[in-house]
Amino acid sequence: MGRVAEAIATLFFLVTLTFLLAHAVPDGPAYAILGLKISPERLNALNTQFGLDAPLWRQYATWLWHLLHGNLGFSYLQTRPVAAVIGAYAGRTVVLYTVATALAAVAAIGFGWLHGVFYRSWPGRVCSGIELFLYAMPGFFIATVLGMVFGSWLHVLPACGMADLHQAAPGLADRMAHMVLPASSMALFVTPWLARIFAQGVHEEFSRDYVRTARARGVGFGSILLRHVTPNAIRPMVTMLGLSLPAIFSGNVVVESVFDYPGIGWLLWRSAVAHDYPVLVGIVLVLGVATMLGNLAADLVNAWLDPRVTYAE
Amino acid sequence: MGQTLTLSNVGVALQRGGRQVPVVENISLSLAAGETLAIVGESGSGKTTTALAIPGLLPEGATVSGQILLQGQDLRRLAQRALRKLCGARIGMVFQDPLAALNPTMRVGAQITEAIRLHLGLSRRAAWARAVELLNEVGIEGAAARAADYPHMFSGGMRQRVMIAAALACDPILLIADEPTSGLDADLKEQIFTLLARLRADRRLAVLLISHDMSLVARHADRASVFYAGRCVETGPAASMLRSPRHRYTCALLRAAPRLGGGVPAAIRGAMPEPEAFAASCRFAPRCDHAQAECVATAPALTAAPDDEGHIAACFYPATTPVAGMHVPSAAAPSPALSGESLRVEGLTVRYRRGYRSGTARVAVQDVSFQMAPGECLGVVGASGSGKTSLAHAIVHMVPYEGRVLFRGEPLSTLRGAALRRMQLVFQNPAASLDPIQTAGAAIEEALELGGLRDRRQRRARATALLEQVGLANSLLDRLPGTLSGGQAQRVAIARALAAEPALLVLDEPTASLDVSTAAGLLTLLRDLAVRLGVGYIVITHDVAVASVLAHRVAVMQNGRLVEIRNNVPS
Ligand SMILES: Nc1ncnc2c1ncn2[C@@H]1O[C@H](COP(=O)(O)OP(=O)(O)O)[C@@H](O)[C@H]1O
Ligand code: SF4
Ligand SMILES: [Mg+2]
Repeated sequence: MGRVAEAIATLFFLVTLTFLLAHAVPDGPAYAILGLKISPERLNALNTQFGLDAPLWRQYATWLWHLLHGNLGFSYLQTRPVAAVIGAYAGRTVVLYTVATALAAVAAIGFGWLHGVFYRSWPGRVCSGIELFLYAMPGFFIATVLGMVFGSWLHVLPACGMADLHQAAPGLADRMAHMVLPASSMALFVTPWLARIFAQGVHEEFSRDYVRTARARGVGFGSILLRHVTPNAIRPMVTMLGLSLPAIFSGNVVVESVFDYPGIGWLLWRSAVAHDYPVLVGIVLVLGVATMLGNLAADLVNAWLDPRVTYAE
Repeated sequence: MGQTLTLSNVGVALQRGGRQVPVVENISLSLAAGETLAIVGESGSGKTTTALAIPGLLPEGATVSGQILLQGQDLRRLAQRALRKLCGARIGMVFQDPLAALNPTMRVGAQITEAIRLHLGLSRRAAWARAVELLNEVGIEGAAARAADYPHMFSGGMRQRVMIAAALACDPILLIADEPTSGLDADLKEQIFTLLARLRADRRLAVLLISHDMSLVARHADRASVFYAGRCVETGPAASMLRSPRHRYTCALLRAAPRLGGGVPAAIRGAMPEPEAFAASCRFAPRCDHAQAECVATAPALTAAPDDEGHIAACFYPATTPVAGMHVPSAAAPSPALSGESLRVEGLTVRYRRGYRSGTARVAVQDVSFQMAPGECLGVVGASGSGKTSLAHAIVHMVPYEGRVLFRGEPLSTLRGAALRRMQLVFQNPAASLDPIQTAGAAIEEALELGGLRDRRQRRARATALLEQVGLANSLLDRLPGTLSGGQAQRVAIARALAAEPALLVLDEPTASLDVSTAAGLLTLLRDLAVRLGVGYIVITHDVAVASVLAHRVAVMQNGRLVEIRNNVPS
């Protein structure tokens, strides 16, 4: 109960803040839609048409009222409902996200094992160095370098778009090929610190008493790592994965822009440039909900992983 | 019949601070099938290290010397792989603190079947059936259903039974149990020891039992070895050796154990040296009242006692009279004439709500009434779960309760500030109740400041005086709790409580986390403070002997009710 109320309050705050920020831009949306050289009459006409001449509180109230009825508003730029706009782009991002998250999780587990098992000896230190190095790289830099190396120089992978435009109906293989670079860039943003958290968990769990018990039972190293240590060490990583959705999304904006992949991040970038604030606010709302669902999912996975966790109703 | 386990001249060096330091040396023991050998000694004396050396479970960087024979086979010569085949199959191990020693995210059944499937190659189904059988054997009710439960769903005693079932899964010939009962209350201790005795007889197990409960060892073990600072200083038949010990350390250890009607336990002065400071001579010499020049010059060899077969001790001036009668008379503490009323509790009931919606509540304390005179010490004893801690928390107003609690004539609920601070609670786990990033001095000074002492210099001086009062050097003022030993942390917690000049101190299991000799020191201190400061205590404890040392009267709790208050028989 408390969790839901908290979630709603957070969402409300987030959405209001975004609305205010969108309206705080100097020239207002109308300029953005029609360009700076429009005549005052056309500006007024447009402001009246979109209700932009009303006082801010009134615009806010109207907008909130519509929001409560499931109406996210109308995109200035694309002249269709925000929900439809977001819907058109969301699917691609969800696919990209899923692939990237799965990649990141697998990479983080593999890397984290190596790092965690050799935490204090040289292989662990090398892992730690690589993690810190990648972590310090700016996202756009990683994405650009990957694009240049694999796309422009080696020509092994397409470095822009989401499908080959020369083909009438892009096949699955083609779509997947277009996914490789954006997805691995996104995964690269988060893998270093997911791996780090997991490695620390592995290292800590290895010093727990139950590991000694398992050894006393004759269980070998491999089974201890897989059956005992990993299920316990993975919980902090799952929590972080849930909490890191916004961080992944900021990576997603960069990646979709760099690789020209038309998803939500790309849409956010375009809408921001164009002051298309109904879409901006809509995306923030969708992201807010997604983040909360992500946290909830992480909690549920953790509850499943750890029998000691139970939630008060 | 040959021996199941023989250790000859076993030594262990552990990696400490980048160096190999001998931690255990020259240990020779033997153990036959159907026999229980107990190892006793203060914590840090090398008991666990010795036990872990047997199945090769020591931490990385450890070196073991000497010979470890399991049914004639030298375990030290076995390859890792071969040794692992023995672990869990021929050798079963039970560790202290079963909550930590069991995997929290694995069903207990799965933890039991793990060894069965590994060593006996049974199918999943057959192994599970065997696990249920084992749980039955160790006395878990409804074993078939409980096998699917997780460790946290069991109580402390039941968890330890699960550990034992897992250790016995493959019918080992040797069971090593490292302090299997520490942290359990007296009843459960007795039950676990009885269970081990039964299993040992049924299965002709050889049991190596590490424990620091001397009276349980005397009753349940066939033979006992006393460890001090990495050496075995005395070995003999458990009962007769603990009745008439020869080594001076064993005598001191026995005197330090609280006993019913045994008077104030005598703390052993000083502390056991760290392995880095181990001397070549008798390592107990700096703490020994009987030490002579010889003791600091050379190490005494283990020599046989004249009239007790198999009883050997390494002491130049062994004790010759039994120790059982040797208790120190009660401290020069004539009970103060108890009159007047400090605390009155009437119809106290504590309920815990189960969930938000369900209206059911668990009654932890039911209708408890008693009163206490100023300066009186009341012991509250009972099994775990009997409501002792809830009672204590209600008295200091930490949990909501029904009924009336009057402190010095005023209802507790109306007391504020200074009046309320005249009653102080000392928690069971001192390390956890002290702020880890606040130095001992700062913790005490904070309490003094709360009490209205504004001047910094005065506060510092008073904190130093308080530390001294609890027997700590002022060099500890700047230490963080993490760097204090359990006994020191508990004393700091007491000093902090005393900063408020309390009339009543509520102590929740003050000695539960301490080893015998540290506990004895603390009890002596508390007894002293009561006399010197006239402060009254409520001592919550599961150990009747602890209560009998401190209390004028002992209250017995059972299932939330106070079933009896009796005068403590003075020793
Ligand atoms: N992993 C370890 N690394 C370094 N020193 C240790 C380690 N484990 C125990 N010791 C030290 O070895 C000595 C013996 O400890 P231990 O065998 O645990 O004693 P006991 O079981 O009798 O309490 C102590 O001084 C302790 O500090
Ligand atoms: S050898 Fe000497 S110092 Fe050591 S215990 Fe015996 S009497 Fe004391
Ligand atoms: Mg130990």
